[in-house]
Amino acid sequence: MTQRIVAVTAGLSVPSSTRLLTDRIVSATRELASARGDQVQVGRGHELQIDVVELRDLAQDIAAHLVTRFPSDGLAQVLEDVSTADGLIVVTPTFAGSYSGLFKSFFDLVEPTALAGTPVLLAATGGTARHSLMLDHAMRPLFAYLQAEPLATGVFAATDDFADPGLGRRIERAARQLVAAVGPNSRTIYPTAASEAVPARQDAGRDDLGPVPDFRDLLFGKV
Amino acid sequence: MEFGIFTVGDVTPDPTTGRTPTEAERIQAMVTIAKKAEEVGLDVFATGEHHNPPFVPSSPTTMLGFLAAQTSTLKLSTSTTLITTNDPVKIAEDFAMLQHLSAGRVDLMMGRGNTGPVYPWFGQDIREGINLAVENYHLLRRLWREEVVDWSGKFRTPLQGFTSTPRPLDGVPPFVWHGSIRSTEIAEQAAFYGDGFFHNNIFWPLRHTRQMVQLYRERYEHHGHGRADQAIVGLGGQVFMRENSQDAVREFRPYFDEAPVYGHGPSMEDFTTQTPLTVGSPQQVIERYLTMRDAVGDYQRQLFLMDHAGLPLKTVLEQLDMLGEQVVPVLRKEFDALRPAGVPAHAPTHAELIAAGDDSANAHVLPSVTVQQAATDDALQMKEA
Repeated sequence: MTQRIVAVTAGLSVPSSTRLLTDRIVSATRELASARGDQVQVGRGHELQIDVVELRDLAQDIAAHLVTRFPSDGLAQVLEDVSTADGLIVVTPTFAGSYSGLFKSFFDLVEPTALAGTPVLLAATGGTARHSLMLDHAMRPLFAYLQAEPLATGVFAATDDFADPGLGRRIERAARQLVAAVGPNSRTIYPTAASEAVPARQDAGRDDLGPVPDFRDLLFGKV
Repeated sequence: MEFGIFTVGDVTPDPTTGRTPTEAERIQAMVTIAKKAEEVGLDVFATGEHHNPPFVPSSPTTMLGFLAAQTSTLKLSTSTTLITTNDPVKIAEDFAMLQHLSAGRVDLMMGRGNTGPVYPWFGQDIREGINLAVENYHLLRRLWREEVVDWSGKFRTPLQGFTSTPRPLDGVPPFVWHGSIRSTEIAEQAAFYGDGFFHNNIFWPLRHTRQMVQLYRERYEHHGHGRADQAIVGLGGQVFMRENSQDAVREFRPYFDEAPVYGHGPSMEDFTTQTPLTVGSPQQVIERYLTMRDAVGDYQRQLFLMDHAGLPLKTVLEQLDMLGEQVVPVLRKEFDALRPAGVPAHAPTHAELIAAGDDSANAHVLPSVTVQQAATDDALQMKEA
């Protein structure tokens, strides 16, 4: 069985410091997982796959989806990969004190409950350390809204931090938490409240539509 | 197969001249376009319902009643009638009146609308959208089929001994479609009652349309109205044509680039690949729309959006000429030849509903399978007791 992590990175320049931070987190996660693969974190016989998504490459598709309300084939695949991942690494530059517009636009297109219970490693870059609380003031509420599970440690890298060994330590701590969270049975299963439960049927051939209620239940309220 | 046009009724500046028509001009243009549709041999004209600028059609039955007097064969319909925010009693009355005035040339399409503030403007809560559609439509069905209605529900003042007037023409309520793009509950609702299902796919890729229609067809059969391939399906469409396809592309591009909804978004090339929008020669339109059947099966109604994005009236009328003379006759012939026996060629007409009598799902408030099942359930419960 393969556990799958998707790293979503929203840097705009090529190469970007945001991508640099993403790559460091990805490789730290990979090393931890392989070093401990036979023991606790990922479990025996489990492999970890990490894919990186550059939102810059999808910028036009994201804008088009916002105005047309449907995704291009390529963007649909990325949204599906992100929605079904066992864990996420999300990395954005700090713009005007918050995540970038591109980053937010992408997560605006994720179905509101698709990330429920998904562990998320929050990370961001910025010009100076004065912005570092944006992790907790901006990113954490966004992923709380999406019902995801942001890890305790976020990673903020100001420009100066790229020369500071402290950044490596924070990356390792966050990666360790991510690897621990992305075990075979780690994804938290949220029981649906009885009041929200809709009798569901799932038929082959139209999986995209999700569960469909029986109209008799809608009409007569036999829920 | 029925072919027709549906209009949003937007008042949009012509991007090539910068001129915005007045509301009076736009409304008269809609009337002219509807009459032209009949003249070129189309079957259906449907108008949207909107309650905010830049749209003019807030009062569909007023417009359709006027058109009833100006036309003789055209079926008058809606795209859509807001079942969520209109009082179902007023819908029952308005459309029964329209049936009488048009000698039965009317059907209508239920929808929930796409403008959030319409809910509070009409005193409703958008979070109840689906529940409003369920409760209001069931009341509408009863008002048309039961002479005297006692009713109480969650969203409307109760009714005691109420009779909706006028009664439906010949005692036969108009055929109803349910339009939905994403909500599976609405496809299920259409299937439950044996009504028509319209997927307005003009801004959506065909892979999504296929799934919604397939769901409706399966559930239509499940609820006991016939085979899945006999369910009544309608699709939207959008075309711009010139004899030479390059001329069509050149002429339509400024309208595409500035259009409400998709303007300033994807390129016209991407959008024509991903959605049913076809910009080219009449032959290209024919080839493209023949593939709709491959995706959703034999279907009964094809409506085209022809008069939006600020296109001048003269251009729209030219488009309708091409649609009626060159495109629809070929599509009609091809679809008719491919359709197996036993699959309806079009949505039932008033005369057909009269002839079908009690055999028609349209004659009943609840599907007979559900009624029988409920009776069996009751009998079982009594036996167990």
